Amino acid sequence: MVDATTRFFEDLDRRGYEPLLAKTSGTLRIDLHEGAQTRHWLLRIDHGRLNVSQEDQEADTVIGASPVLFDDIASGREHGLAALLRGDMTVSGDARLVVQVERIFPGAPDARGPRRRFAGEVH
Amino acid sequence: MGQSNTIRILDGNTFVVCEDTGDIEATPSEPTGLFSIDTRFLSTWVLTVNGERLNSLSYDDLQYFESRFFLVPGMATHYVDAKLSIIRERTVGGSFCEQLTILNHDEKPVDLEVRMDAASDFADLFQVKDEILNKKGEIYTEVESDRLRLGYRRGNFRRETVISSSMSARYDSKGFAYTVHLEPNEQWDASIDVQTHAVGPGGRDLRFGLRKHGTERLALQHDLEKWIADAPKVNSEHGRVASTYRRSLIDLAALRFSPLSLGGATLPAAGLPWFMTMFGRDSILTCLQTLPFTPQLSKTTLRILASLQGSRFDDFRDEDPGRILHEMRYGETAAFEEQPHSPYYGSVDATPLFIVLLDEYERWSGDVALVKELEQESRAALRWIDNYADLVGTGYIWYERRNTDTGLENQCWKDSWDSISYSDGTLPPFPRATCEVQGYAYDAKVRAARLARQFWGDPEFADQLEREAAELKERFNRDWWVDDGEYFALALDPDGRQCDILSSNIGHLLWSGIVEPERAEKLAAHLVGPRLFSGWGVRTLAEGEARYNPIGYHNGTIWPFDNSFIAWGLRRYGFAEEAATIANGILDAATYFDGRLPEAFGGYPRELTKFPVEYPTACSPQAWSTGTPLLLLRTMLGLEPHEGHLAVEPRLPVGMGRIEVLDIPGRWGRVDAFARGRLDLDKLSD
Repeated sequence: MVDATTRFFEDLDRRGYEPLLAKTSGTLRIDLHEGAQTRHWLLRIDHGRLNVSQEDQEADTVIGASPVLFDDIASGREHGLAALLRGDMTVSGDARLVVQVERIFPGAPDARGPRRRFAGEVH
Repeated sequence: MGQSNTIRILDGNTFVVCEDTGDIEATPSEPTGLFSIDTRFLSTWVLTVNGERLNSLSYDDLQYFESRFFLVPGMATHYVDAKLSIIRERTVGGSFCEQLTILNHDEKPVDLEVRMDAASDFADLFQVKDEILNKKGEIYTEVESDRLRLGYRRGNFRRETVISSSMSARYDSKGFAYTVHLEPNEQWDASIDVQTHAVGPGGRDLRFGLRKHGTERLALQHDLEKWIADAPKVNSEHGRVASTYRRSLIDLAALRFSPLSLGGATLPAAGLPWFMTMFGRDSILTCLQTLPFTPQLSKTTLRILASLQGSRFDDFRDEDPGRILHEMRYGETAAFEEQPHSPYYGSVDATPLFIVLLDEYERWSGDVALVKELEQESRAALRWIDNYADLVGTGYIWYERRNTDTGLENQCWKDSWDSISYSDGTLPPFPRATCEVQGYAYDAKVRAARLARQFWGDPEFADQLEREAAELKERFNRDWWVDDGEYFALALDPDGRQCDILSSNIGHLLWSGIVEPERAEKLAAHLVGPRLFSGWGVRTLAEGEARYNPIGYHNGTIWPFDNSFIAWGLRRYGFAEEAATIANGILDAATYFDGRLPEAFGGYPRELTKFPVEYPTACSPQAWSTGTPLLLLRTMLGLEPHEGHLAVEPRLPVGMGRIEVLDIPGRWGRVDAFARGRLDLDKLSD
């Protein structure tokens, strides 16, 4: 079974464009550490245009996390900024990029969203 | 937190609250200490000389970021032996630095044991505020030969205080000490440095590369001088308006805050000590108040709030796509999701006000590039108003928290639990809708229509927004008007029943322009009438209402910021004298607080107390109170951008004398405004 992290990045690569990042450009590398092994994902953003690879290349910003935590973030079960504040996820380089990219991660899978009182759900 | 004997110095979200000796002796509920990123880094900081506590002769708040204490040995009840003086001079700016000087005035040499007790409880600001202290992690102390390290660890969450000194000291687990020998008239100096660290794995600090201005004393001084030099000058015939303005300008500089990870751009934090962080509502309203004087704050605030705009549904954070955040925090309770502030979105006014600020900013600055840059975010904010905020389906903005544990019940500016009630004092069910927010939504649509037509090249969208605004205005004037009282209800309950109480919120409706012109005169009469107007300002709730209490947080106190928007609204509808009456009362009140208006003060009648009674736990300085004198100046001088130039139409009360505001920045370059007091306010009350 493919993990949520892989699904998340493959989906980004397929879409190729994310309007929430239309004003963003830069490279973000995600290092997923497990024991002596590190898996890399490299996200290149050019005014919202996205390119995903698994290269271990220099990037403007590097995020470090465990594969389990990142899987939870990629599926909306964990929140990226809270993980950052906790020290469970680390950042080096341009931290602005993380704050911008964090917004494209999904919300909690069980989120109800706003509900209209008389006519069911709003959305 | 209204103790007048505490001294506060600050820079951004690092601040110190201490006693008048410079000592810190915090208890879990006593908010003294050295704080940064919503965490207390020092809870004990007590200086002794030969085992004796010191007594304060005097202290100076030199600047907002530095203070100086003159001390002698012995407590105040003893005979003061002035053979020895001790001076503590301290600065905050990223780190905390204390310069210790001891002078021997005796003709004999002295041997001294100088000791500083130091400890930290690493309390989250929320734990201090709510008086809960039950730390889930481990506190540790590491004594090294040249420093003392106080730390707190919970999983990967680590905060450390590292203390070191320029003079060699002996460090132990409870502090550090010096042995000092002083000849007659000799002086001893030591510089103590206290660093606060948010340590990530690998030892990196969470806040790297954050600060725009330097943290050295000289850099802070230079930055403040430049801030003042860049702002317009205000001269007044009676010094009080000019000195209140200057106080406000300096406090605004102090309250500037660089959010984590946003490249050092600054926006106004909400207030000391509880709210030294970014708030959507407070930051936007402060920017609206200060636009004619410090427009650069608006640009960064809009950009930062846009960059953190909601993008998905998150019930814990009350986040929706398009929603503008309410509050961001960096402490332990946010990190471990014991509080939802990472960030929390539970406010319904920040989103429409975001658009109001963007339009107002363009009208002053002519910064079309920013309007284009933020088109997508503005459209998302407008979609939030229509798609996600109308919880009842009646065309209004409603609120009902989804985070029922730690979310906010009332998501309007009057956010305490009992602020919204029916006239019999009972509280309505949810969802609730408050009147001023409907005004903001109306204003946002009208203003967005201008932006769409002039800058986004979308005249159809502009037409649609104007149509929707007109319908909203008609609907609002029908559903919210209280016939027998002749004012607008504070709120509606989900069945459309009115919370038909008389409140200050009606003044915001004038500011937004949603009021049918023929009804404005009634509102103006209420706002300066005896039930709402105390002589100092407009009460949050009118005297005579069931929940009225002159020191009720949102049920009778007077909030300076509230009054500044009410005055602006009165002026908008042509009630210049009523606006001047309010401006005059609030500026009078400011003189009792040395020009620094508190968050709120009591709603007692002016003739009863003769001075404004400060609300016991009010925050000070608080950003939107600090911005109040600036908006009142704008209102009294009638400063209004008009077809590319600045229109000036002053209406000042007689007693105010002559006022000049020089070098007002905007799309016109720099322009001066002059005014002379001509309005006889006594006539108004006849």
